[in-house]
Amino acid sequence: MFEGIITSVSGLFEKLDKLSFNRSVKGNVNYVRASKENYLKIAAFLKENGFKRFLTVGVVDWLEKGSFEVYFIVHNMNNIYVKVSTEIPREKPEIPSLSDLWPNAAMHERESWELFGIKFSGNPMLKPLFLEDWNGPPPFKKDFNWREYVKQTFKLPQAGGDKQ
Amino acid sequence: MIREALKSLKSGFQLLKSKPITYNFPPETPLAKEFRGRHIFDPTKCRSCGLCAKICPNKAIEMVEEGGTPSSSQVKVRHPQIDYAKCCFCGLCADICPTGALRMTNFPMLVAMDKSQLLFPPEKLAQPPELKMPEKPKIKNLTSWARSRSLWVINFFTGCCFIEAIPWVSSGFDMERFGLLVADSPRHADIFIIAGYVTWKTLKRIIRIYEQTPPPKFVVALGNCPATGGTYWDSYNTVKKIDDYIPVDIWIAGCPPRPEPIGLAVVEAMNAIQSGYTGKKEEVKTSEKLRVPATKEKLEENEFLLPFGPQHPASGNFQLKLKIDGENIVEAEPQVGYLHRGFEKLMEYRTWMQNVMLVERICVLDGGSYEVGYSVAVEKLAGLEPPERAQHLRVIQAELSRIQSHLLNLGLIGGATGFHTIQRITWGDREKILYLLERLTGGRIYHIYSIPGGVRRDLKEEFKKEAVKVLAYMRKRLKTYDELFIENPVFRKRTLDIGKLKAETALENDVTGPNLRASGIKFDVRKSTPYLAYDQLDFEIPTFKEGDAYHRTLVRRMEIEESLNIIEQALKKIPSGAFKVRFAPFATVPEGEAMSFIESARGELCFHMVSSGTNMPYRVKVRGPTFDTILVMLPKILKGAKIADVPVIYWSLDNCPADHDR
Repeated sequence: MFEGIITSVSGLFEKLDKLSFNRSVKGNVNYVRASKENYLKIAAFLKENGFKRFLTVGVVDWLEKGSFEVYFIVHNMNNIYVKVSTEIPREKPEIPSLSDLWPNAAMHERESWELFGIKFSGNPMLKPLFLEDWNGPPPFKKDFNWREYVKQTFKLPQAGGDKQ
Repeated sequence: MIREALKSLKSGFQLLKSKPITYNFPPETPLAKEFRGRHIFDPTKCRSCGLCAKICPNKAIEMVEEGGTPSSSQVKVRHPQIDYAKCCFCGLCADICPTGALRMTNFPMLVAMDKSQLLFPPEKLAQPPELKMPEKPKIKNLTSWARSRSLWVINFFTGCCFIEAIPWVSSGFDMERFGLLVADSPRHADIFIIAGYVTWKTLKRIIRIYEQTPPPKFVVALGNCPATGGTYWDSYNTVKKIDDYIPVDIWIAGCPPRPEPIGLAVVEAMNAIQSGYTGKKEEVKTSEKLRVPATKEKLEENEFLLPFGPQHPASGNFQLKLKIDGENIVEAEPQVGYLHRGFEKLMEYRTWMQNVMLVERICVLDGGSYEVGYSVAVEKLAGLEPPERAQHLRVIQAELSRIQSHLLNLGLIGGATGFHTIQRITWGDREKILYLLERLTGGRIYHIYSIPGGVRRDLKEEFKKEAVKVLAYMRKRLKTYDELFIENPVFRKRTLDIGKLKAETALENDVTGPNLRASGIKFDVRKSTPYLAYDQLDFEIPTFKEGDAYHRTLVRRMEIEESLNIIEQALKKIPSGAFKVRFAPFATVPEGEAMSFIESARGELCFHMVSSGTNMPYRVKVRGPTFDTILVMLPKILKGAKIADVPVIYWSLDNCPADHDR
């Protein structure tokens, strides 16, 4: 049922053919993989072409590859979802902010900054959101093992509550 | 206008004449058979395989030898021992048991003054459950008797168990007949209910409020999270044992406990107080780290900083820092994180099947939709095609969940505008929907019903008859709501043109769901990207152009009616056949990524899931519907509004603090 719409979106992406990216389609969701340089250009292009709703910013920590996959999801009123992702190195991760394009992006980036430690340059909002007085590493990174941390920090209750 | 007002009054009088909807206490009728309560264990059938201990997501089950020592797998005879201070009653253990030695009964009354009584060794598990009402104690003196009959409960609900404390305020369970009253100020309160998990940020506020309460004070801990960390036992941000910090008098097991055991705990507390008990005399352990940090805000002359929440009758566990000038709000800043448990990463430590138990706890007010969204995403990853029957059953589950969520919101907006009658009625009627959910799924709040591959149990014919009755009852009640509340001129005056939201602004800030539809944009995922069986069902999407608090409430009121229609159709059209395809409890899912989009009660819910080919997710991203609405849009709407309108605007947007904190 989405055939017609998908061809129109691929037409949309043809305009962008100078930039290198990978695109795959599942249902009405387009998965676009781009380089860090093209990430912002594609974002600006999507914003100009009617992708008004900005759903979220997400991060996947690829520990073995040594990189973070940063992505955002947008949606337009023709009911197309586009997920654009790019990979950045795990050491000193930094990526341009999308807060100038979509007003609600800043808050999502603030969350990813807090949980993964990724710096979104140009975002004026980077301060703790969920946590108060947290001194540990960014908690959602793969190399921060919660079960180990919880075992060391709290003496986990034994079976039967206080009876130890 | 006068005619409308008279109509509302008349409808109110008619309500007085109708049959009361309050339940008796102690409950006379047995609870729904399907409800998942305490286990019962048959040692003769047990093969000592230990699968129940392996599947338990909370590590509540331990295999022990005779005499209670933990055993290794080499020992031949070993039986499960269950700690109800950890158990979340998901029933995965009973499902996986190959011989049926471990089953679940519908017995919910697990209340103890001492936490260690909640540990059930195999011998105790083998005894059938029996309800023992506490005996009437002797009255020590007049003061203790009077105190026990007027206990005030502090209005600070910390976690998801508050959802089962809510029925006690409704006309269904009605706590006022016990002399209990909700007090909004800690200085007037006697009982502190710690409802569910406590994060580090909340702990500081709990200690402050506990210290402000004058003695004698009593603490009731609901659910397993305050006792042991419960479901979030491996979360970095939750407190594992609340009794390390403040003394607890009564523990209630359950996740969340049903209203009945909460009532039992109240009766126990009353009896204890009557016989002279004045609370535990332990000292509160605090340090400088556990103090609420002082605010350092730069204020102009004439400006004043007013915190709205987290302990506020209308806030939920959420705070708005309001900078005010007289009556007007200059700036509003949401303070969140009181409920942050780190779901997305907790899910990386659990198998695909165990995560069903976890995922619906993201949003306590509408758990059904989250389950469905998660299961749809996993099915896309694993390439499973659930049978049509399962899709219809999921529709019924999701719509029932939507109705109860909207009824809750009608009550909350009623409370925010001073209509406490409608609050009592809608929350009382919500019990009927919860009863249906319980019959269908086995859980009132957390269903654990939609699993990858289908649903967990089949529909029974008797459910259909009961559902038809409840649907007819709800349709009749909706008319009462209209006359009493929606068309009431006082309510209209209070909400029309309040908290205006334009369509363009709403889209730009990604407001979704009923809030977007009240602003004139007809966007509903059930229609735009049909999932489950929604493309086979006929329903309308109520849309209005005005975009104010009144029309947002109206959209929810209309959606209840549409949901009733959907359930009716789904019950008629449901095909026969299988209700699930096999998805093993420890199954692996092929490498890849998938997304699912679901229309939850609050708007579009999106799951993005990455699998690395193991039996656990590599990464899950949940995009909840309230994150943008509350964190981004609400401060913009509140700018320039009056203080008295804050609860109205806030609840007309229908927040779920647990959803945006995750």
